[in-house]
Amino acid sequence: MKTKGLSTFASLRAGVVALVATALVITPLAVAHAADAPTFGKACTTEGVSTGQMTTSLICATGTNGKLTWQRVRLGADNATPVGTSTPPKGTIEFHHWRPEDKVVLQAIIDKYQAKYPGTYINQVIMSSVDYTNLAYAKISANKKAALFVTSRGGQFNQFYAGGMLASLANQRFIKQNVIQSALTPGIVNGVVYGLPYQSLFNNPLYNSELFAKNGWKVPTTWTQTLAFCKTAKAAGYIPFAWPGATRGNAGQIINSFLMNSAPDLATLTARITAIDTGKADLTEPWFVEIANKYKAMTDAGCFPANPTGYNDTVAPADFAAGKAAIYPTGTFGMSTVTKLNPAMSGKMKMMSLITVDTKPLYQGITNNTFILSVNAKSSSSDQKIAASFMSFLAQAENAQAYAVGTSQHVSIINVDYSANVDLLNTSDIMGKKLLLAPRFLFNNVNNVRNPLEDALIAITGGADVMKTLTDTSKTIKQGLSS
Amino acid sequence: MAFPAIAIYSFLYLYPALSNLLYSTQRWDGVTKPKFVGLTNFIHLLTNDDLFLKVLGNNIRFTLIVVVLQTCLGLLFATFLTKNTKTTIFLRTVYFFPTILSSVSVGLIWTFLYDPNYGFINATLKAIGLDKFALNWLGDSKYSLYAVAFTQIWFHTGQMVVIYVAGLQQIPAELYEAAEVDGATRWQQFKNVTWPMALPTTAVVVAYTTIQTFRAFDLIYAMTQGGPLNSSDLLVTMVYNTAFVGYKFGYAATQTIFLVILVMLVTWLQRRVLKTNDGTKR
Repeated sequence: MKTKGLSTFASLRAGVVALVATALVITPLAVAHAADAPTFGKACTTEGVSTGQMTTSLICATGTNGKLTWQRVRLGADNATPVGTSTPPKGTIEFHHWRPEDKVVLQAIIDKYQAKYPGTYINQVIMSSVDYTNLAYAKISANKKAALFVTSRGGQFNQFYAGGMLASLANQRFIKQNVIQSALTPGIVNGVVYGLPYQSLFNNPLYNSELFAKNGWKVPTTWTQTLAFCKTAKAAGYIPFAWPGATRGNAGQIINSFLMNSAPDLATLTARITAIDTGKADLTEPWFVEIANKYKAMTDAGCFPANPTGYNDTVAPADFAAGKAAIYPTGTFGMSTVTKLNPAMSGKMKMMSLITVDTKPLYQGITNNTFILSVNAKSSSSDQKIAASFMSFLAQAENAQAYAVGTSQHVSIINVDYSANVDLLNTSDIMGKKLLLAPRFLFNNVNNVRNPLEDALIAITGGADVMKTLTDTSKTIKQGLSS
Repeated sequence: MAFPAIAIYSFLYLYPALSNLLYSTQRWDGVTKPKFVGLTNFIHLLTNDDLFLKVLGNNIRFTLIVVVLQTCLGLLFATFLTKNTKTTIFLRTVYFFPTILSSVSVGLIWTFLYDPNYGFINATLKAIGLDKFALNWLGDSKYSLYAVAFTQIWFHTGQMVVIYVAGLQQIPAELYEAAEVDGATRWQQFKNVTWPMALPTTAVVVAYTTIQTFRAFDLIYAMTQGGPLNSSDLLVTMVYNTAFVGYKFGYAATQTIFLVILVMLVTWLQRRVLKTNDGTKR
C-alpha cells in the first residue's frame, strides 16, 4: 500500500509539473495567436476573407476609414435573424431531383416536415443525373404536381427559365434571411430570385494532409511552387495530381483555377469568356494560349499521372484514396467517393487553392452553387405554397445541417455547423478565402464551346501541339456556333 | 382488319419520322417556339461542319472494320462449331455469352482492360516484353476508335456465330460428300460449297452488323464519350450531343436524316455486292 501511495504521489507530482510546463508553453502561444486572430474592428490584410458563414462571423472589408478591417459579416440580405418555416396548406406535391444518393437523408427531413405539418406530403421523384439532364424539362413541364424541382447551374436553369417554369422567390423571407446571399447568384435572373442553390461546392483540389506531413511537403501557394512540388512529389514516387484526363467532367474542374487568376479583374475575365462563348474570340487569344501553356507546363513538370488522357475518374480517386496520389484536383464533392473507397481517408483530406500565378492572386479559390431548388410556376397556387414551405424548411439551419452532414456537401444556409462531419469541417476553411463563382460555367454553350475547349486542353496534356490544337478547336467552335 | 396495324405503325413510326423531317427545317432549342429556316441546316451540315465530316469518316471506318472482322470471325468460328457435339454446344454458349451482357457493363469492363497504367492488356504486354505496344488505347486519338471497334467485335461476334451455325446447318451434307468424291480439299469445299451456300446468311449478318455499328451509342458513351477530340465520335453520339447537350433539336434532326440515308446506302450497297457474288445479279 505504501509503495502504491508513493507511486501515486509521484505520478501526481509529475502530472502537476507537466501541466505547469504545458501551461507555460501554451500561454504565450495563445496570446500570440489571439493577437493575430480576427478581431472586430482590428486591421486585416486580404479583402474578402472571412471567418466563416455564421451570423457571428467576421469579414475583412474596407471600413468607413478606408482601411481594411474585420467587420461583422452580413450573410443575409439584411442583418435580420433567420426566419422559421412557413405553414403549408394540406396536399401532396412531387419533389423532382437527380440525387439518388441523397434519398435517405432527404426522406428523413421530409418525414420530419410531414410530422410537423400533418396532411401535407412531399414525394421524392428521383432520376439519374444523366436522365435528369435530358428528360427533366419534358417531364416537369408536363406535370403540375412537380411543384418543387431542382436544376443545375447554367444551361438547365436557363432552359426552365426560358420555358416560364420558375416562380419568383423574391418575396420569400427565408430567401433573404436564411440563405447566404452570395450563393444565390446562379438562381437570379434580371435581379429576381427564381432558385435557391442549396449546395455550396468548392471546386478546388483536395490534398492528402497525412501524405504532405509525412513527406515534409508544404502546400504550394504560387505557380512556381506548384511546379516545384510536382517534381518533388514525382521524384518521391507519388502521383502529384490524380487528374482524370479521360473524364472530361472532372478533368475540367481545374480550368476554374486557371481562369480565376487569368485576368486583372472579374469584368475582364467575364468579357473574355463571353467572347469565346459567342464566337467573337478564338482560343488563340494570348490569355488563353497562356493557360494552355500552363497545362503543358504542368505536364512537363510531371504533375499529371502517366498517360493522363487515358486516366479516368474511377482510377483517380482510387489512387488518391490509396495514398498513391498527393492531390485529387476535383472538389469537395469528391470526398465521399474517396472515403467510400478508403474510410481511413476520412479526416485526412484538406482543400488547397491551385494558384497559377506568382503574383498576389486575385482569387484564392473556387465555389459553385448548384442543386438549385425552384417552385414550379405552372403548379397550382396551393402546391406552390407547399413547395415554398418545404423549401423554407430545408433552409432551417438544423435541417440544412442534417442534409450537409448526411450527404457530405456544404450548403448555402446560414449558421450550419459542420463539426459533425470531419471532412466537411476540415474543408470549411476554404469558405473564409476569397472565392470566385466557378467561371467554367460562364461558358453557356456546353456542346459547341466548353466541351471542345476542355478537350483541347486535355489533348495538350497528352502531347498535342498547343497552337495547332487551339487553332483547330477554334474552327470547330465557330462552325458549331453557327449551326 | 389492317387498320389497327396501320394506325400503330403510323403513330409509332410514320409520325416521328415525318416530325423529324419537319424539325430538320427548323431552328429549335426544345423550349422556345421553333423557327422555320428552310434548308439552312442541310446547307450548313454539308458545307460548314468539319466535325460532321470527321464523325462521318469515323463512322464509315468503324462500320468497315466491325462488319468485315465480325463477319469473317463469325463465319470462321461457325465453320468449326456446326456439328452438334457437347464441346461445340459448350463453345457456342461461351462465344454467345458476351451478347447477353449489358453494353454499359461491357464498356466499363473494357475500359478497365484498356487502362494504360493499370489495365490487363498493357500489363500483359509489358510482362512479355512488348512494352512498345502498351499504348494509351482509349486516351490517344490515334487508337481510340480501333479500341472501341475491337470491343464491339468481341461483344457481338458470338451472336453472329449462332446465326451462321444455323445457316451452315441448313447446307445439305450431300454437297460436301459430292465434293469429297470429286477430291476437293477443305479449302475448296469452303470456297465452292460453304461460302456460296452461306451467302444468304452472310447478307443477314452483314446487314445486322451494319445496323449495330450505327447504333453503338452506349458502348461509345461508356468508354470514350466520343473522345479524345472526337476521334471515336459516331453519328449517333453526335446526334445525341447536338440535341441533348447543345439543345439544337432542328440541327440534330438534320444529322439524323443523313444517318438514315447513310444506313440505307450502305445496306443497299451490301445487298448489291452480296447478290452479285451470289451469281444472281439483277
